[in-house]
Amino acid sequence: MGDSSQKQLLEFTTVTYLDPEKSKFSRTPGGFLSLVTEDGREYPRVNLHRAFPFTQTNEFISVRDPEGNEIGIIRSLYDFPREVIKLLEEEMNRRYFAPVITKIYSLKEEFGYTYWDVQTDAGHCRFTARSGSSSFIFITDVRILVVDVDGNRFEIPDFRELDEKSRKKLEILL
Amino acid sequence: MKLLFDLPERESKIAAERLKQDRIIYCTPFDLNSEGKLTDGWVAITATRALFMENGSVTHDINIREGTDYKSVSMVGNGILEAKINGEFMILARYTMKHVPRYAYIARILSDLSRDLPVTVKSTSDEGVCPNCNRILPQGTRVCPSCINKAAVARKLLSFIKPYRLVFVAAILMFWLITGLQMLVPYLNRIMIDDYLMPMKKDLKGFLLIIALITLCQLLITALVIIRGRLMTSLGGKLSMDLRATVYTKIQLLSLNFHNKRKTGDLMSRVTGDTDRIKNFFQNQMISTINYLFIFVGTCTLLFMSNWRLALLILVPIPVVATLHRLIWKKIRLMYHGQWKAWDKAYSVLQDILSGIRVVKSFGQEEKEIARFKNASRALADITKRNEKAWNTLFPALNFLMGAGQYLVMFYGSRLVLGRYMQLGELVQFVSYTQMLYGPLNLLTFIPRWFAEAMTSAERIFEIIDEEPDVRDHKNAVRHKIKGHVEFRNVTFGYQSHEPVLRDVNLDVKPGEMIGLVGHSGAGKSTLINLIMRLYDVDEGQILIDGIDIRDIAQQDLRSQIGVVLQETFLFSGTILENIRYSKPDATLEEVIVAAKIANAHDFIIKFPDGYDTKVGENGHTLSGGERQRIAIARAILHNPRILILDEATASLDTEVEQQIQEALGRLTKNRTTFAIAHRLSTLKNADRLVVIEKGKIAEVGSHDELLRKKGIYYRLVMAQRQMTKLKEAEGL
Repeated sequence: MGDSSQKQLLEFTTVTYLDPEKSKFSRTPGGFLSLVTEDGREYPRVNLHRAFPFTQTNEFISVRDPEGNEIGIIRSLYDFPREVIKLLEEEMNRRYFAPVITKIYSLKEEFGYTYWDVQTDAGHCRFTARSGSSSFIFITDVRILVVDVDGNRFEIPDFRELDEKSRKKLEILL
Repeated sequence: MKLLFDLPERESKIAAERLKQDRIIYCTPFDLNSEGKLTDGWVAITATRALFMENGSVTHDINIREGTDYKSVSMVGNGILEAKINGEFMILARYTMKHVPRYAYIARILSDLSRDLPVTVKSTSDEGVCPNCNRILPQGTRVCPSCINKAAVARKLLSFIKPYRLVFVAAILMFWLITGLQMLVPYLNRIMIDDYLMPMKKDLKGFLLIIALITLCQLLITALVIIRGRLMTSLGGKLSMDLRATVYTKIQLLSLNFHNKRKTGDLMSRVTGDTDRIKNFFQNQMISTINYLFIFVGTCTLLFMSNWRLALLILVPIPVVATLHRLIWKKIRLMYHGQWKAWDKAYSVLQDILSGIRVVKSFGQEEKEIARFKNASRALADITKRNEKAWNTLFPALNFLMGAGQYLVMFYGSRLVLGRYMQLGELVQFVSYTQMLYGPLNLLTFIPRWFAEAMTSAERIFEIIDEEPDVRDHKNAVRHKIKGHVEFRNVTFGYQSHEPVLRDVNLDVKPGEMIGLVGHSGAGKSTLINLIMRLYDVDEGQILIDGIDIRDIAQQDLRSQIGVVLQETFLFSGTILENIRYSKPDATLEEVIVAAKIANAHDFIIKFPDGYDTKVGENGHTLSGGERQRIAIARAILHNPRILILDEATASLDTEVEQQIQEALGRLTKNRTTFAIAHRLSTLKNADRLVVIEKGKIAEVGSHDELLRKKGIYYRLVMAQRQMTKLKEAEGL
């Protein structure tokens, strides 16, 4: 094998983790996230992608440039200084928008759709989802993700924690 | 998509203040603030300015020309409208997924305005929600399942019954007859008891007559029920066949765009499931319903005529019993819904394991999978057991409940008889009527549901029947014998019109020329080919064949002269002969053999024990990728198309087989205008010209050598592939 191909292979198999001490994240005036890496490369704008959005929300976060090339991976959010954690969390909350359902006012199933009227942490919401397991996903035994017809996501972190009335309404889908 | 909303009063005032006299040309809402809370946001766009407001205060007021790179970015569960304003990237608005397509248009509008280009995007009222009740409409339809006019659907369904109206009228007559006879029997019983049994009259003749009459009635009822059942069954069968044929024909005629929007499973269920449900409705449910209605009206009239007090006594418990019944059924339905879900889960686990059995075995995971299925199976068994127990408790209780009314009648009636206010036979008659009334009472609660289900099914069918194909032949479409000159003039096209896949494509192809289409996946190569076949209509510009716009050529005529060989060849169930002949059913056997020979297929076909009669497709002989491909080429050769399309025709083959197929293709492309897509660039070496497509535009055109010399995109693609080949070789060593 030639030198160049060996280098290529190496590139494919190594995971670059960002150094929590030396990677400098900051907020741009326009509200985006920028990064200067330890070797001094500057990225005026970066996007964060969770590798395991359901199971490991704060670990293995891929940092990518706007073209989608991976700059590096954040192994764990908690290795970073507190103010950076806040910055990164804000950024991820923007990319991953999934209001948490706190109360179900009404839930009906008819004509192959489920009609929801709920209170979420983002406000009062009405939405429609397709019936069936593709829109009503059990992430764990108790955690539920509801995806509506437009692709909006709503989360129920633990359906047992909902109030009695809401849980009763949810029963038709359980 | 609606892009010009009316601003609410508060925002309208602000806009008037800020934008002065400028006319608002687009105006849309957005619903999230930067913190991710729901908000009341609006953007008003004039020819020069864009004003963003949230909850009544201005968040951005920009001069559109100071910005570039307007873009709607779709993220996970929400989207943002961003732009580079005075050199700095900014977030202008944030919204839930509902608005993502809308802001894709807005971004395009802003970007056009910023570059002083004419804005062509129009606001329409099509929002994908029912204008009546605001429910989201199922994808690709304009029919709201909640607001459908059931009477109108029923009328439409009746128009399908029209050819069979005589049968239908006959069936209704039978209903009358049967009900009448059914009501006659208790009456005869009464006469027998009151006039013969009670007075102990020894009138054998009269007695026999009564018995004979009762027997005759029962016999007639039985005969009529049989005839009615047969009539309704044949009516239901014919009707569902008519519906099925109509839907299926329509599905075949609809454009590919329609098929892309819908899942195969959904269409299958409409052709089979929904028509079946309608058949059932006619065959069983409608009979029960009409029957019961007749009996109800008939018995009630008779009861009231003979003793209204007793009649009232019978009717009073009906609402109570019906309500109770409804409640119990609701519970039962929920129970069985749970059981169905558990069944579904066990079933999908089983399907998962069985279809992946090779993977399971090769990783030695049998134990785990056995446990997984056992769990699902146990869950199903548990819920079934629970449900059966509940059912076996509820059902007898329900039966008792149904009889409760009768006991009342018996009590009150017996007192009347003992008090000599009523005769015994009369009481027996009464009790019989009560049983006729209460017996089918449980059906009463089902009738609305049956009707609703049947109408929804009917509507789902009519929705397809009433659908208009996107790609239509216009009135003056001509038939044209294609010579092979193909021209693209300023063609722009997108599957969703806010995202063009091809932009301003110009290309002139001479008759008989072979064009190789090159580019990254997603660049628009396959789209270009779909447009030549007119599977879709262009958004802007035109495609001309021999100088005629393809929209002026009859679709059938156009496609019958275009041949296609795809990467994955689909062979229908049937013999090899049938598959080769698919494009030209009247081809002679000599022609078929010649075509197979040209396609390098004759030799391997002859080697099969069954030769050309070998069964392929599902349950048939399994062919290798190369063999299938050669059959597809033979099919195309027999078709003798004027324009030939090769879409990755050799991509899935190894080099040796590819050689043979290349040979066959070489013979096939001779003197035919050919468009060939290939990732493996070496397969395009016969092409007269190569067209490199990059991000929806034609980036380079020229022969292999010309493009290499140019050192552009094509050069880089070739180099990258050589590198890959070398790498592969190195690994092989």
